Amino acid sequence: MADLLDLLLQPLRYPFMVRGLLASIMVGSLCAVIGTYIVLRGMAFFGDALAHAILPGIAIAYLLDVNFLWGALGMGLLTALGIGYLSRRSQIKEDTAIGVVFAASFALGVALLSTVQSYSVDLTHILFGNVLGVSQTDLWLTAGLGAIVLLTVLVLYKEFLVISFDPILAATLRLPLNALDYLLLLLIALTIVVSLQTVGVALMLAMLVTPAATAYLLTRRLWHMMILGAVIGTISSVTGLYLSFYVNVASGAAVVLVCTAFFILAFLFAPQRGVVWTWRRNRQQAHPPHHRPEPVN
Amino acid sequence: MSVILEVVDLTVSYNGTPALEDISFTVRAGERVAIVGPNGAGKSTLFKAMIGLLPIQAGYAKTSGAEFGFVTQRSMVDWNFPVTVHDVVMMGRVTKMGWLRWQRPRDREIVRRCLEQVGLLDYADRQIGELSGGQQQRVFIARALAQEAAILLMDEPFSGVDAPSREAILEILDRLREQGITVLVSTHDLTMAVERFDRLALLNHHLIAYGEPRQAVTPETLAAAYGGQALWRGEDYALVLGDINCCGGGRHHDG
Repeated sequence: MADLLDLLLQPLRYPFMVRGLLASIMVGSLCAVIGTYIVLRGMAFFGDALAHAILPGIAIAYLLDVNFLWGALGMGLLTALGIGYLSRRSQIKEDTAIGVVFAASFALGVALLSTVQSYSVDLTHILFGNVLGVSQTDLWLTAGLGAIVLLTVLVLYKEFLVISFDPILAATLRLPLNALDYLLLLLIALTIVVSLQTVGVALMLAMLVTPAATAYLLTRRLWHMMILGAVIGTISSVTGLYLSFYVNVASGAAVVLVCTAFFILAFLFAPQRGVVWTWRRNRQQAHPPHHRPEPVN
Repeated sequence: MSVILEVVDLTVSYNGTPALEDISFTVRAGERVAIVGPNGAGKSTLFKAMIGLLPIQAGYAKTSGAEFGFVTQRSMVDWNFPVTVHDVVMMGRVTKMGWLRWQRPRDREIVRRCLEQVGLLDYADRQIGELSGGQQQRVFIARALAQEAAILLMDEPFSGVDAPSREAILEILDRLREQGITVLVSTHDLTMAVERFDRLALLNHHLIAYGEPRQAVTPETLAAAYGGQALWRGEDYALVLGDINCCGGGRHHDG
């Protein structure tokens, strides 16, 4: 017991580990809550594209020597609005519009970064995250922006539920459908920006989608899905970070792999929806036991 | 009864091509109107234009201050969405609650009553995907009632629904009529429209006929709505004519 406690406490002796853990917990829960909308509205490609499209913002911030969060924030908001506008206003299909914007701005980001000496190290950090490099300032920014996102989700919970479930009802109720849609895109952009340092561009999508998808298999109400997703995201982040401390693997990758393990478990064993459950039900229907109760209506 | 909905010279375009042209009709409070026409005739477009989801090129649709409730077509909704029956009906209350507000006991009471009206109170805590097609349709009716809507727009409520469920929905509509609620239903089922509705609108981009069902549906108006080709296939045409000229009943033609 004492050994286990020691195992858990030892990493906390390093301030960078404590900061990393705090950042991971915030990011893990924030991503899962916003990820709920991404999963339910089928916006995974948009989320992935947005994460990549932020690169030039980071590069510019880097070249100007300001906190990369500001560059990412500007670029993230710009891209979210740009994609939203393109897909609404043109003849081009939404996924094509996203593809064009996403690849172009990622290329621009790589081009800008390649002018810097320490190009490959920086690019690796941006792509895969550098959770142990989180500073005190980063932590405060993450907390502040994360709180804004969560508060907005809380305050507009019922409106976001309606526009996600049934946009036609939203129109009937005279809700500002477009404004709410854009606001949701902005919240996704904010979430990606504050999560960048922890998980990086390449693994961002997993944090947004996997905990939420796992929770989706296990719940049947939106707010349950959000809370369970946040719990799964947090546990995965902490577990992943400890794994990376002891086994010495990249932290972002460890976090994502733990998330994925949870998803596989839910995919197989979730009541009603899991593979095993469905298989057993089909078998029971093929060979019904003798005293089967009548199904209720 | 007083006029509750007035549509005047309504013209709606869809990606540049006109989908509806010069539609004019009036509906009195408590009436039950069937909107019939072939696929792509603009039935859904008419509803969407009325609730403001599609821009109107010309004309207008005006209510006497009554609110629209939209009963969404079942195929337009993701039935695996994590919401319960209660949650869906509560959505009808969203604008009544107002911004920055949570549901109050009064809202929950209204939701309860609306679920009771459509006979789904026992299903309140079920995830919506667990219900049958007819029950799902009733959930959406309850949602429109929770919204305190006086005009219900129902988009193809009978498609993919079995006969008993269809009767259950029609029975609910009977009770709504007693409360003075007006119902507009788009449907393919011409026979049911003729037999069970007060007014019938025959639609195909234009409003071909509108009025008392047996007067609105004639061989000429049917030919205009469905085109000669569809109707001149021999037996079908005879069946349709037989139905309408005599006393209703018997087999139905489906568009």
